[in-house]
Formats: sequence, C-alpha cells, structure tokens
Amino acid sequence: MAKEKSFASFLGCIAPNRYPQLELATGFVMQKLGYELVDMERASCCPAPGVFRSFNKVDWMVAAARNICIAEKMDRNILTICNGCFGTLADVNKHLKADEAARDQVNERLKELGDYEFKGTIEVRHVAEVLAFEVTPAVIKPLLTRKVKAKAAIHYGCHLLKPSAIKQLDNPEKPRMLEDLVTVLGVESVEFKDKHTCCGAGGGVKSFSAYDSMVILAEKMKNISAVNPDFILDTCPFCHLQFETGQDYLNKNFNNNYDIPVIHLSQLMAYCMGMDENLVGIQYQLMGRNYSFSDNAEAIVCD
Amino acid sequence: MATKTQQLPAPETKRQFKTSDDFDDAYLKDIERRTNIWSCIQCGTCTASCESGRWTAFKIRSIIRKVVLGDLSALDDPDIWLCTTCYQCYERCPRDVRPTDVIIELRNYASARGNVSPAHRAVIKNLKETGHGVPINDQVRQQRVELGLPELPPTIFKYKDEEDSELQKMADRLFNVAPKPDPATKQAANEEDG
Repeated sequence: MAKEKSFASFLGCIAPNRYPQLELATGFVMQKLGYELVDMERASCCPAPGVFRSFNKVDWMVAAARNICIAEKMDRNILTICNGCFGTLADVNKHLKADEAARDQVNERLKELGDYEFKGTIEVRHVAEVLAFEVTPAVIKPLLTRKVKAKAAIHYGCHLLKPSAIKQLDNPEKPRMLEDLVTVLGVESVEFKDKHTCCGAGGGVKSFSAYDSMVILAEKMKNISAVNPDFILDTCPFCHLQFETGQDYLNKNFNNNYDIPVIHLSQLMAYCMGMDENLVGIQYQLMGRNYSFSDNAEAIVCD
Repeated sequence: MATKTQQLPAPETKRQFKTSDDFDDAYLKDIERRTNIWSCIQCGTCTASCESGRWTAFKIRSIIRKVVLGDLSALDDPDIWLCTTCYQCYERCPRDVRPTDVIIELRNYASARGNVSPAHRAVIKNLKETGHGVPINDQVRQQRVELGLPELPPTIFKYKDEEDSELQKMADRLFNVAPKPDPATKQAANEEDG
C-alpha cells in the first residue's frame, strides 16, 4: 500500500519546461489540501502516448515503467498534471499489472537502464480526478478564500477520460467532473458546439503536420469564440500549448483575432485558494495577458 | 457537353493494379494477434467520429480495410500519421475493433521500415539528448527562477552529466528507429522483383 496523503509528483515535459506556473500552482493547491508532493528525481518524458508509442510500443512501455518504478521505490502513488502523462503512465501501469508476459518482457529490458523492476504496487492519478473524486468539491469549498466570476469554456482533452474502459472516471461523451469542480469556484461553464472534440495536438500530429493540427484546432476555436468565454479551462499542458500557440498561428495565418486566456485547472484552483496572482502566471502566457482574475474576483466572507 | 465518363482520366493512369507483392500475410497475422481487426464490419462509425478525418485525407475505415486484406500500402501511407489518438473511434466502435490501437501497430511497423518523418526524428533526438520530448530553454529557466522554482526541474536532464548517466543508457537502448529508406535502393529492389 502506497503512502496516503502523499504523492510522487510527476512533472512531464511541457509543464516544467514551458509552463512552470502549472507546476507551482499544483504544489500550492495540494499543500492547501493537506497533501505532500515529493519530487521524482531522474524522471524522464512519460513518454508521450501519441508520438513515442507510435515509434515502438515496447520501448514506450519500458520508458514508462522506469518512471513508475521511481515512484514505486518512493512508495507513493504518482500525481500527474498532464493528460498525456496520465494516458501513458496509467495505461502502462494497468497493462503491466494485468499482463504477466508483458511485465516479464519489460522487466528484462529495464535491467539495462539501471536498478529497476516493475512490481505493480502503486496507482497513477491525475490532479483533476483527485480534486473531483478524492478531495471532492464539498471539501474544497470551505478552503476557498475567493471566487472568480467568469464564464469558462471547459476542455477536458482526450486522454483524461479515454479509453474509458481503462480510465473508468467519467462518461467520455458527456462528463460532469470539471463542471462540478469549477461551479464551486464561482465559475460558470458555458456549453459550446462539439465541446468534447480534440485540440488537434496529440498523436504526433502537431509535430508531423502543423497545418493539419491547426485546421483541427480552427474549428474548435471557432466554436469556443462563438460563446465568448472569459477563458478556456484545460487539464493538460499539451492542450494548453496548443491553444496558446494555436491562437497565435490562427491570428497570423487564418485572419483571426483571438485573444482568449488559457487556464489550467490548477491555476484557477490555486488563485481561489489564495495564491498571489503574479504567481498564477498569466502574464507569461501568449494569450489573454490583459485578463486578470482579480478584476473578477469576489472575496469570500466567513459566515 | 462532355459526359462524366469522358472527363475521367485514362484507365492506366486512373488505377494501379496491385500484385501479390503488395500483400503480406505475416504482417496481417501479427497485427491480428494484437488487435481485433477481424471483427470489423466496415460500418464507418470510426470515420464518422474521426476528428482528424473531418478535415484531412485520413480515412480510418479504409485503412482498417486495407489491413484486413494484408495490403502493405497502409504502411507507406502518410495518412496513418494524422491520427491524433483522441480515442473517439475507440469509444464508439460497435465491434470493439479499437482502431486507435490498430493505427499504433501500423505506425510501429512503418517505423521499423524507416517511415518516420524528419519532424518526428527531431522529437526522438530531443528525447535522446535531454530526456524530454519538449526540452527547456533559457526563457523558461529565467521564468522558473522568477516564480521561485529551481532553475531546472529535478528530472533526468538535471542529472545528465553524472557518472554512469541514465540518460545515456536510455538514449542508447530506446527508440532506435530504422534509418530513412533510400529511394534509390527501393527503386532497384522493385525493378529486380518486377
């Protein structure tokens, strides 16, 4: 049994290397909720479930198992803040626990990388799912210091809920978990056309064909901007990167004029729990730099 | 006014006939072992749900059809790299074919044949050199310091220069994809066969 109220913090690539504010905000939120986050030293890329799994599925499993082994040695469940990392690590973890032949094959290869052996003693969690189902909105509510009055276009991303047979979190066609969470924070979730479509970045498409990736995003952005939200709320740094750089690309190449801030669930949650707005880090992002939580915030008076 | 038939290109340019060399039973059997392709009834739910295929030439139903026939052309088809692995088809397939997994198997085969785009080779190079698909840059190092975080995250990149570096071991042993096939030798091989 892994330690309770303590997680091995898996950072991945895009969060620490492009949006460190997501890493900081998640640490802040989990600390407020009474959890401990411990660094996973020498963790690598998860590796990404779309792009690296495509080149060699076995190598992908070996590299993922190595990351899982680091957390096993720490006797802690893994906490990810990225749908991609969650996709890789949760899927590989479940697969290797269930399939003995695959586990033996991976363990044999792991020996080449160092002192690693997959034992199958821990779980892999995503911060959104921990907040929604383990902590629950009812527990979060009394810990808030302020609410944000805003309309959010929620983007779940693909690998948080799918494949639903593996993830078993929420209905992938019509989920409620993030809507229920942001309602507690004062934020209204706006419905828009084709809400649960992909941002277009995954599966190696963003690197393979940036244009096709942008065409998929263009439709998404058209539907989002039609309902005029204050920001896009996501749970994945790769979707975050796609919405940020994508709006910029669409403005320059497709004659659009988008400037919608992109906010990770951890950033919003951290602000509502009292984090300094400068540390939430919207000023470091490409889009919506003029948006400010504090202009729309409402302090919660203890009753 | 010209009829539709008259506007069509001449038959020899319209259609390239396949020969038995274009099909491989072993490849089919191997993919079959790990996926559910024989359950496919070609209903098209996958293509109708495909968020990439809506905008691109990627047609997952026809690709699955090719695989079921053992048609090797699916492996040289760049379209298989347009799947975003969103799993929409995987969720909705009434026969549990798991089309996303079929695409991954095809891409694995294609990679073993050296069919990996230069952009993807660059991503692999990033992983081998830094341990990350998206490595850090100077601007973000600065940003991390301003936010009060350590300049480098405690990931494998921070430890890349230590003795007996694990990054080096990973780089040596993982994701060694085949080199790009040389068009000249491919041409020669085809001529020999023909």
